[in-house]
Amino acid sequence: MRDMTVDPVLPSTSVTARLQRHPIRALAWLFFALALLFALVAGLKGDVFFFRLATEALIFGGLSLSVDLLLGRTGLLPLGQALFFGFGAYVSALVLKHGLPSFWLAMAVVLVTTTLVGLLAGVIAIRAKGVYFALISFGLAQVVSKAVFNTRELGASDGIIGVPVPQISFGLFSVDAASPAGFFLLVLIFIGILYGLLAYLMETPFGHQLAAIRTNEHRVPFLGVDPWRYKLVAFVLAANVAGLSGALYPMLRGFVSPELMFFQVSGNAIINVIVGGTGTLIGALYGSAVLTVLRSVIGTFTAHHQLVIGVIFMISVIFFPRGMIGYVVAALERRKETAP
Amino acid sequence: MSAIHQVPTSVPADAILSVSDITVRFGSLVAVDGVSFQAQRGHITSVIGPNGAGKSTLFNLISGAIEPSAGRVIFDGQDLTGLPPNRMLAAGLARSFQITNLFFELPVRENLRLAAQFLEHGRGLLRPVGSSRVALQRVDELVERFRLEHKLNELAGFLSHGEQRRLEIAVALAARPRMLLLDEPTQGMSHADTQETGEMIRGLAAESLSILLVEHDVDLVMSLSDHVVVMHQGGKLAEGTPQQVRGNPAVQSAYFGDAFHA
Repeated sequence: MRDMTVDPVLPSTSVTARLQRHPIRALAWLFFALALLFALVAGLKGDVFFFRLATEALIFGGLSLSVDLLLGRTGLLPLGQALFFGFGAYVSALVLKHGLPSFWLAMAVVLVTTTLVGLLAGVIAIRAKGVYFALISFGLAQVVSKAVFNTRELGASDGIIGVPVPQISFGLFSVDAASPAGFFLLVLIFIGILYGLLAYLMETPFGHQLAAIRTNEHRVPFLGVDPWRYKLVAFVLAANVAGLSGALYPMLRGFVSPELMFFQVSGNAIINVIVGGTGTLIGALYGSAVLTVLRSVIGTFTAHHQLVIGVIFMISVIFFPRGMIGYVVAALERRKETAP
Repeated sequence: MSAIHQVPTSVPADAILSVSDITVRFGSLVAVDGVSFQAQRGHITSVIGPNGAGKSTLFNLISGAIEPSAGRVIFDGQDLTGLPPNRMLAAGLARSFQITNLFFELPVRENLRLAAQFLEHGRGLLRPVGSSRVALQRVDELVERFRLEHKLNELAGFLSHGEQRRLEIAVALAARPRMLLLDEPTQGMSHADTQETGEMIRGLAAESLSILLVEHDVDLVMSLSDHVVVMHQGGKLAEGTPQQVRGNPAVQSAYFGDAFHA
């Protein structure tokens, strides 16, 4: 068996050895282990606030994952990715409030509609390259968010409030989205599955082709591949991931508002990815977890929390250009080289 | 217009590539002006000419990088005129680049694997890379042939110039094309490396691969080629065997210039 990613096998099976062999995979397991540990502690303390905050961090982590798929893997900077996040949130809220209060129905409708909207927006945006793609992505999100902001049927600037909290049925048992611990675990598993799917895809020829497009798009056609198709599939996939993550938002908060599509949300997701480690996927979740909590905690002290986040972002870009995960992986590799 | 259809007539059975009256204009500039020639199957056909003669543009027209304003490119019975580059490989035509054009941030092995993935015909696109056995076997062959065994996990950007040029050709060959377009393969090479590359090209032709070569090194072209096309100011000046071309007075004055009259 050949495996492109396997380094020469180290004899030891200790935790550090495993970390050094598949650092990103190990850090991914660590993320979900830490999340479970948090759930255990918060559950024992009967906490509500931090459960809700951590759930929100995971939901925005899903959006950040979709940004990293485009930015870190395909080389496309999506300045308006919140469009799909907000779209998923609105569709989910509409289904829950005016259709059936069913988690599965909401998710299915969001999956189908984000595929269609992603295809449409992708066909428009993927035509452009580099900064023009970024600007078209930004422009599309601006147009749609302003339209929603001015549409009375969608609640205009108030958004949709009073979204019923669904019971999420799994046949044998069900989870109440109103339960802080239950919904946190559900979102953790859901985001975990999205992460796992993307991480798997990145190890296939499809995922590797995206990396080829990122590093040298001009050579790709001469290898018999149409880069446009691959970029479109990545774009739709990112729309799905962002939309499905957004669909969880009204289940957590009971409302949606046009702000979910604003540049602030897109920008925050990009910052999460860069601080977490661009192109690592798991860095998007780490970045979202750390920064969402920071935004909230600093926000309780000062209304100028964006200022603090901005400074953190600059420090990160200057001193840790590969982000948290990139820094840890590089440090592990240095240790491996110096180890006997 | 983009459909590949069979062209049964007028192309001799032994011509794998037939270019007729190919022309491209950039605004008022006619970069390539009504050039016609044929390349025979299993032969080395070379295009030479002074700087700015339109060699590279001709190359880009054949490989689909530039769409022609007029003329036809017939390859192995298929009309390739105006097809995008990503359709050329399916027809059996591959090219290398004058300025090394690799995935510099990716390892050597991955550069070759990406190129060899074509051999899987879209199979295993959503399975782990390790299950693309045909592609990986091809990578092993290329690595051995182009002596890159010790550089497999090296990033392509960290290779020496000579190694990058070898990898460039290996990548172009990975999908087993029937014809290889080589754009100045010895660009920037030492004399020894140039000789070695010449041997390698000869070896490829011996395996009945058809080769179209654009090259600056006239001595190399003359020693390698079965057929030489001389370009000058966007048009075809002459063609023939290396001896015929060398003896052509028009070629001597336009191209070899001082070297022949000195």
